[in-house]
Amino acid sequence: MRTFLLKRLPSGLLILLLASFLVFLILRLIPGDPATTLAGPDATPATVDAIRTQLGLDQPLFSQYVHWLGHLLTGDLGPSYAIGGQVSDLIGNGLAATVQLTLGALLLVVLLALPLAVLGATTRHRAVAATVQAVTTAVLAVPPFVTGVLLVLLFAVTLGLLPAGGHESLLDAPDLAVQYLLMPALCLALPSAAVLARYLKNGIDRALGEDYVRTATALGVSRRRILWQHALPNALPPAVTVLGLQIGQLIAGAVLVERIFAWPGLGQLIEQGVLRRDYPVVQDLLLLVVAGYVAVQLLTDLAYAWLDPRVRWE
Amino acid sequence: MTTTAALSRSGARSRNRYLTGLLTWRGLTGLALVGVVALAGLLAPLLSGTDPNAQGPLALAGPGAEHPFGTDDLGRDLFARVLHGIGTDLSIILLAVPAGALLGCACALLAASSRWADLAVQRVFDLLLSFPGLILGLAVTAVLGPGRWTVALVIAIAEVPYFGRQLRAGILVQREREYAVAARVGGATRSRVLLRHVLPNAVDPLIVQTAVALSVGVFIEGALSFLGLGVRPPEPTLGSILSQSVAYLATDPAFAAGPLAATTALVLGFTLVAEALNRGIRR
Repeated sequence: MRTFLLKRLPSGLLILLLASFLVFLILRLIPGDPATTLAGPDATPATVDAIRTQLGLDQPLFSQYVHWLGHLLTGDLGPSYAIGGQVSDLIGNGLAATVQLTLGALLLVVLLALPLAVLGATTRHRAVAATVQAVTTAVLAVPPFVTGVLLVLLFAVTLGLLPAGGHESLLDAPDLAVQYLLMPALCLALPSAAVLARYLKNGIDRALGEDYVRTATALGVSRRRILWQHALPNALPPAVTVLGLQIGQLIAGAVLVERIFAWPGLGQLIEQGVLRRDYPVVQDLLLLVVAGYVAVQLLTDLAYAWLDPRVRWE
Repeated sequence: MTTTAALSRSGARSRNRYLTGLLTWRGLTGLALVGVVALAGLLAPLLSGTDPNAQGPLALAGPGAEHPFGTDDLGRDLFARVLHGIGTDLSIILLAVPAGALLGCACALLAASSRWADLAVQRVFDLLLSFPGLILGLAVTAVLGPGRWTVALVIAIAEVPYFGRQLRAGILVQREREYAVAARVGGATRSRVLLRHVLPNAVDPLIVQTAVALSVGVFIEGALSFLGLGVRPPEPTLGSILSQSVAYLATDPAFAAGPLAATTALVLGFTLVAEALNRGIRR
């Protein structure tokens, strides 16, 4: 396991380093000077210079980069340009909401995909299998901003069951918080659930055609036991990889979903940052997302190795 | 004689694989959905005489004889806006997807030229893919500012690693096949083998990828416009009309119907075409 980790960790760190460089550089390509923008139209050149020195913008590019990395590692992200407040506070406030949303969605992904895949793989009725296929295709294709609007129309406007948008703290009012979470999490989960269900169904299909399943059947093992003890464990490892990739999609999809349901998370923050050209916020958030994604993929590889002992011996 | 006949038959079959794929219920439904929406977008000036940006006195009117889809919050005719929105979407996507595909393929060909180039190109793809989904698009938009060309660039960049990786994988497989080895043994230069023999046989998966990319294009345009980071107003796009309608869902659900239907039909249509082509190739 340790050698496995030692092999994967460097490539993850390399990507992270390259990404940090890219993020730093592209935000320096922007025309115009942030110090001038920040100082306002009536500022004297002296004020602009003072701001520039204060932000470290008069330093050479490479030392600015190293400076930024150092601050990232210590967690001191400095002030935001336009939104107001410290970047670390802004991120801290949004992080909890986004993690809640993403974890809720992840739970729904697994809860939706597993039964759907098992149903699609084991049903003896062609119509049921075809329906599962059609549903996953449709759900996969439709973008979250369309499903989001449809969900609001159905559950909030027509049925009046759930609030159309907003957020409640999980600690203060758990029942309300779950009500607020349900629709955004579902909207975020649906496309990923469809992808996972498809991979898992194909995996189970393939496993059910293997020799060991035929042998087990010949020995009189029940269908249920074959599915849960033989077919599913063998179909799981590739599905875990897919799930890991989908977590990245969940993080990215959160930007849209948070907008639709007025969910006060990092997605809203990055959108505000881009709209108002608040570069420190955008820069730090971009890197945070990439770091999260790289970490998730590393964990996915580890989970794969844990689930499939053959990988560890390579 | 028999060999030539067999060869030409298999050649004809391989040419028609796309056709057989498309002539299934999946392919035909997809083509019909895309066809209807695209036609509506193309014929927008004929179907609706109204200026999509002209504001009227009647805001948030329901569907009626004068305004088939109703009007938006500024009293603009929604039928005209949705039709012109389709046009805007398609004009961006049909420019951006081929551009991204060509760039991705160029990267793959570059990667095929040497081991170092391959390593570098692979890292670039990894890097682009380490920004999940829309996130890279947001970064590009932060630099360039929102607008039509930014949206096109975001779509193109998003497609580069997918086309590049597919073609690279295809080239690696085809390069070791007997015919490629035979051509090399026969004295053909590296670039000739690559461009004349290997490349034509490695592009198959790219046809499917193009259909997928078109649906991703609709998705990205819609998402950026939905966030207010897309094509600048007042020019209508499907995403921006949908985004506008969200504030009025409770009182005027009909506002959202047009953009919802058009976006869904377009994305679903492209996806079905992609699946049909994919099944056709694998057959």
